[in-house]
Amino acid sequence: MTGRFTAGKQVAIVGYAQSAIERHSASPLGVLAVETARAAIADAGLAVDQVDGFVTASLFPSAGAHLPEDGVSLVSANWLAEHLGLSPRYAAGFQGFGQIPGSVSIAVNAVASGAADYVLVHRALHNPRGVYHENPMQEVRGDRQWTAPQGYFGPLAMIALAYNEYLQRYGARRESMAEVLVEARKNGSRIPWSYWYDQPLDAEEYLAAPMINDPICRFDCDIPVDGVAAFLFTSAERAKDLPHPPVYVAGYASGVPATKRLPLHWPLDDIMSVGTCLAQRLWDSAGVKPGQIDLPQLYDGFSPFVYFWLEALGFCPVGEAHRFVEKGGIDSDSPTGLPILSGGGALGNGRMHGVPQMLECYLQLSRRAGERQRTKTTLGLACHSSPHYGGAILYSADPL
Amino acid sequence: MKELVRPFPVPDEQSAEFWKAASEHVLTIARCSRCAALTHPPDVVCPHCHSTDPAFEFTPVSGRGTIRSWTVMRKSFLPGFDNDVPFVLVDVELVEQADLRLIGRLIDGVTVPLAVGNAVRLAFEDIAPGVAVPAFALEDRA
Repeated sequence: MTGRFTAGKQVAIVGYAQSAIERHSASPLGVLAVETARAAIADAGLAVDQVDGFVTASLFPSAGAHLPEDGVSLVSANWLAEHLGLSPRYAAGFQGFGQIPGSVSIAVNAVASGAADYVLVHRALHNPRGVYHENPMQEVRGDRQWTAPQGYFGPLAMIALAYNEYLQRYGARRESMAEVLVEARKNGSRIPWSYWYDQPLDAEEYLAAPMINDPICRFDCDIPVDGVAAFLFTSAERAKDLPHPPVYVAGYASGVPATKRLPLHWPLDDIMSVGTCLAQRLWDSAGVKPGQIDLPQLYDGFSPFVYFWLEALGFCPVGEAHRFVEKGGIDSDSPTGLPILSGGGALGNGRMHGVPQMLECYLQLSRRAGERQRTKTTLGLACHSSPHYGGAILYSADPL
Repeated sequence: MKELVRPFPVPDEQSAEFWKAASEHVLTIARCSRCAALTHPPDVVCPHCHSTDPAFEFTPVSGRGTIRSWTVMRKSFLPGFDNDVPFVLVDVELVEQADLRLIGRLIDGVTVPLAVGNAVRLAFEDIAPGVAVPAFALEDRA
């Protein structure tokens, strides 16, 4: 067994659309989703009634007290199909972390198996009024009772513990992370649909921001937004008749179950040990090596994930990511830089989860990136979430 | 509007013994009756031997351990902690078993210098009559 996918490059992205990325949209999330889905279907040169598969991960990733509601704060695959007036052959939702690669892998499997011919993958993200993660709970039930009475609550504390473990273990300095923020916001500032369009960030401003949960400040976190993205998947064969150059899925991998922990406890060793296995399965799935990737789009919903992914995927040695970024290793404007945030990432676009990574792979590999088009983009990688719970997809501009 | 307080744990079938012992300032950890490994928090299947009938027993532990990581909570997303910020949370590996990790407050305050590997001992915070939450304190360094 080699781990190589038999359906590698047999399924492709053939079109996309994305809504405006705003702090609070004037339209309900469900309306954005329906309009974005219609736009994506049209972009792919298809009619709405040709779409016979719907896949999403609908999770509303807030620790706050907001009660999630389909069509309002999240949009499920069934909700979207129904509101497009369709009864699709296939509808599914991904349940885990790494929502974007998880959804893409389900969509690829659906097309490869023949369960559906044209699958729409969407992600709808909502920013409720008030503080995103704030929760006035006075009683704690379920698994949070092991941590919330102590004051351990919310994802900032979660990433703070893992990041501090990294800083202490490798003697890294917070100052190095400024390179990540400057790079993400530089690229985001060039993207018209980004929340941060025309708003780059400099290292001084980053380092002057007060800590929230040390060593995490607000710039280390992506900003919550309302937004929807949608992508159309079909077979490589059907893609030949459609208007845009297809971008093929060459392989994918997701994190295997990690050690049982307290809620939201993500120790560095868990992240890296599972992440390293994920990376090996990813390379095996497509028979490629890290050095062949032109466009590795790394997830950055919290800035330390950039270090963890750089190291787990083998783009730099373990413990060296902070030096790698300090030396200009991720400057996408430099011929020697690795363009890991050329699409702006979540830090440079807003909390669209792994959408910016996937979208940058699609736009660059289909040669649809306009003024931002890079010259050599054949093999792309888009990952999402933490290396131990998330996933990654390999995209190829070349057919089988 | 009534001022929010720190959230209270609501004991359930699985956690009742833990919180009862905690109220008496005893830290207990679930021990699998099949393989004797400690698990925190307990689960319905033992994560070590995968027994579906682990018959966990809450066993008193020393509460001594070492700091693996920490964070200073300058803001809490639980408004019930607004009067407590800033405070330090430590990720502690207990001496009883490799990689047995608990997270709790460090009661020494936010100005004391910390390092990975610092030894800690158990402390408790009494947040209401009959409700105590496990916490940690730095061991006195000789």
